[in-house]
Amino acid sequence: MPRPERKLITFSIDGREVEAPANMMLVDAAKFGDVEIPVFCYEPKLGAPVGACRMCLVDIEGIPKLQTGCSTPVKDGMVVHTQTRRVKDAQQSVVEFLLINHPLDCPVCDKGGECPLQDVSFGWGGGMTRFVEPKRHFKKPLELSPLIAIDRERCILCYRCVRFSQELSEDYQLVLHERSAATFVGTFDGHPYVAPFSGNILELCPVGALTSMPYRFRARPWDIENAGSVCTLCPAQCNVAFTVRDDRVLRVLARENEEVDDGWLCDKGRFAYQSIHAEERVVAPMVREDGVLREVTWERALEAAKAALGGAQGRIAGLAGGETTNEEGFLLQRLVRDVHGSPHVDSGAGLDRSGLLALGDPGLQATVADLEFAHTVLVLGTEPVDDAPILDLRLRKGVRRNRVKLAVATSRPSSLDPNATLAVRYAPGAEAAFVTALSAAFYGGAVDEPAQAAGADAGAVHELATLLRTSGGDQPGDVVVLYGQRVLAEGEAVTAPLLKLAGALGLSGRPGAGLLGVPTATNGRGLREAGVLPDAGPGLTAVPSAGHGATGIAEATAAGELSVLYLLHTDPLRDEPQRAVWERALEAATHVIAHAGFLTETIREHATVVFPAESYAEKEGTLVHPDGRLQRLRPAIGRPAGVRAAWQVLDELARSAGAEHGVHTVHSATQQLFAAVAFYAGLSVDAIGAKGVRWWEDDARAAAWPQESGLRAAISDLVAKTPLSRTPDYEEAPTPSGLGAADGATNGALRLGTYQSIWAAAEVEASPALKFLHPHQRVELSPADAARLGIEHGEHVTVGSAGATVEAVAHLRNESPAGSAFLQSGIPEDAANVLQGPLVEIRKATPK
Amino acid sequence: MDWTPEDDQLVVVRGPKPGGAGGAYRIFGETLRGLKTTFARAVEGHHTIAYPEEKVPVYPRWRGRHRLHRFEDTGLEKCVGCSLCAAACPADCIRVVAAENTPEHRVSAGERYASVYEINLSRCIFCGYCEVACPFDAITMGNDYELSDYHRSDLIFTKEMLLAEPLERSPIRAEGE
Repeated sequence: MPRPERKLITFSIDGREVEAPANMMLVDAAKFGDVEIPVFCYEPKLGAPVGACRMCLVDIEGIPKLQTGCSTPVKDGMVVHTQTRRVKDAQQSVVEFLLINHPLDCPVCDKGGECPLQDVSFGWGGGMTRFVEPKRHFKKPLELSPLIAIDRERCILCYRCVRFSQELSEDYQLVLHERSAATFVGTFDGHPYVAPFSGNILELCPVGALTSMPYRFRARPWDIENAGSVCTLCPAQCNVAFTVRDDRVLRVLARENEEVDDGWLCDKGRFAYQSIHAEERVVAPMVREDGVLREVTWERALEAAKAALGGAQGRIAGLAGGETTNEEGFLLQRLVRDVHGSPHVDSGAGLDRSGLLALGDPGLQATVADLEFAHTVLVLGTEPVDDAPILDLRLRKGVRRNRVKLAVATSRPSSLDPNATLAVRYAPGAEAAFVTALSAAFYGGAVDEPAQAAGADAGAVHELATLLRTSGGDQPGDVVVLYGQRVLAEGEAVTAPLLKLAGALGLSGRPGAGLLGVPTATNGRGLREAGVLPDAGPGLTAVPSAGHGATGIAEATAAGELSVLYLLHTDPLRDEPQRAVWERALEAATHVIAHAGFLTETIREHATVVFPAESYAEKEGTLVHPDGRLQRLRPAIGRPAGVRAAWQVLDELARSAGAEHGVHTVHSATQQLFAAVAFYAGLSVDAIGAKGVRWWEDDARAAAWPQESGLRAAISDLVAKTPLSRTPDYEEAPTPSGLGAADGATNGALRLGTYQSIWAAAEVEASPALKFLHPHQRVELSPADAARLGIEHGEHVTVGSAGATVEAVAHLRNESPAGSAFLQSGIPEDAANVLQGPLVEIRKATPK
Repeated sequence: MDWTPEDDQLVVVRGPKPGGAGGAYRIFGETLRGLKTTFARAVEGHHTIAYPEEKVPVYPRWRGRHRLHRFEDTGLEKCVGCSLCAAACPADCIRVVAAENTPEHRVSAGERYASVYEINLSRCIFCGYCEVACPFDAITMGNDYELSDYHRSDLIFTKEMLLAEPLERSPIRAEGE
């Protein structure tokens, strides 16, 4: 549904005439008149109020009884009093009631000092209690989960946590047991409350009933400083505030930015800060000597890197990972491309320049907030909870509160399926055929053939097209297509029909509708725009000679054409899809220079020079959110003694090769980047500020997007080259002969799909609090396939393809489509990228 | 408001003219008045206290070096590490790092205890706010005022030092003294 129009009305509060939006709840409307009404259970982020705590009672003229301000919408001409004797008495009584069972253990309680109950008791309470009877007692403290401690004595039963679990994250785990005074918050049967967003209840709890285990007793509000920055652990780039004490990050809180995260945070973002202070972090430069990495001085490490780069002019490849900032990416591509004359730079964009220009067209962009207010959202080939978790909450909110119609088209069953109006499945790897079929359904082309090739039901494709077409009623509806970067693996075969689809839906130039791509790398969009691409420079300008992309770099290095790999915050053995090729490439490379925070396998086995990387709480720079919002990363703590900023290292290396660019601070690099990228013109770090700026919202900047990229030109160009009925390549793929045919246990082959869990990250592994969530390989199967293969749930299996195998645990899912198997990527051992696919064979693991 | 320079009249007050009675007073009068105090004290005898051999007893409410306390019966520390003293401290000289009690390692009576409790006495202004803020009477101001040392770092008193029985170096003034 489109955004509701706001109408202003006038009402009177405490004798003052105040203007406020109509139907806003009194508690919020009162703030327009600088009147504060105390609340406990009311939280606008949680949706409809419940009026459970009775703290917000106000006197409204014409209504005999006191009314709850949190659930009374303000009306024109309403006369409200909050300072009368009657209201004061009611407030004091409510505080007295709430404190009857609340223990007075504030000195021990972690919430002390930042506790709304303390504040409200102080501000609106009577200061005395008449209650002398014994208080309610529960066993305490208890673990609600390994991350959350619950103290039921302190609970005032405001329902906030339960509402979050039931209505926001919809994991339906938290419930209230029992009735009246015996009521307590818990999970069914006392199971631990483990969910991707569980940590948000820590911030919601208005008392100390729910406290963080990793932060337990670490600091008091007056001991700490809050430092605002951005989380770089996934592309959602939530705004966070680091709680810093003694130059250590002790906690991460959400920093509300409605356009980015809506004030929520996932548990990875909330608890993986522990990796910043992990023991195993690399905090000194290292150089490989006699096959062993040894800590050396900065001078020696820089010397080694200079020698390696200087001796391989034109045979260098630079690869930037997701946590790289725009500035670092910009300096890397300049170092490799301009200084050392080698065009092989990539950030894993997976698309060529024309595709990026077409999909990135400013007119086609949708914002995160649009997900909430569109008529229909199509989730195409991405699992938001894994790829950009906070978008999952946004989609659920849109469906629940604004009646957004959600369509899910993925190969792997999505956690959003229950919320979706329509869920369509296609075979893993068949994105091109599926999008072709969908766009053909709009243009009246052949649907059956590509739908069959995609393993999708042609009827469902038609139904999906109808849903997208008719969502707005008589008018064309606002449609947002949220697609994962993995969808674009086949390049033009996907972008062409996707653009045709966008054209058919009239997404171009339409506010509130458009495309929103979720890159696999955190700063994927920023790195593209900063020119970390093989075939485009900063601002997506054309470069004279195109280099190799990521996989091309691996192949060329393995073949001996390239000799030096520069890995900026990336671990190809884990991040890149083709592990076997990368193993050969890293083996063949004469020098591997890496900026890394942890000694992962790639670094430990292959790196010759290791520069310690800054953590995201130490870094300064800019990032670009998937919807085009430039955000600032600001340092919260100082760097460990042996760590230098990556921009300094990159500039030092460029300078030693004779290129003086005048980069003296990170801001001078930012200025150079903004000057080099045409559509960032006029931006500055001050303009970006705390909440960020979407560059394409400014008309002049949007017009600076390389012009040959207009939607129409792109479509006509791409469509001319790509017939819509093109069958994708995977059908011609050879049948695998993975596990020996002689083996009697060999069974039929399944299509391999991959996904990366939210917990598959080096930061999660290095965080003690999150260790219990660290994923192990499992293969998701449909019960039909499992029955055919004779595999049971929880059994150890071997998944094989073309000679390579991984060990996994069979995980049977009823929703899983028959004929497909899903493996996790991004984990250190037995990751899906060991297998080539597209078909795999599964058999029972031979007992060791 | 308008200002006319003529309205300001400078009145010069001059002392007595040299010579005569006024002159004599001017030379000796005030000096003798001062000397009156000098001679009066000389008659009283000496007041020097031979510190450090001899010490002035302090009043019972004297605010000297802090002390942390234990429960007499259980021996557990009274301090739960709530850090309220650090919040109240105007000189910012208290640092508390809390930790959680476990059944095997129980330090205080509550859920938490102070694993680090430091007072930087070179910064402390002995205002006593910490004592007022403490909800468990775990910290009180003692009466020891002899705190000089050779190194500034030695003036950071740790929890063990504050919990230990202090050397009774400063006498307390007895009732009615």
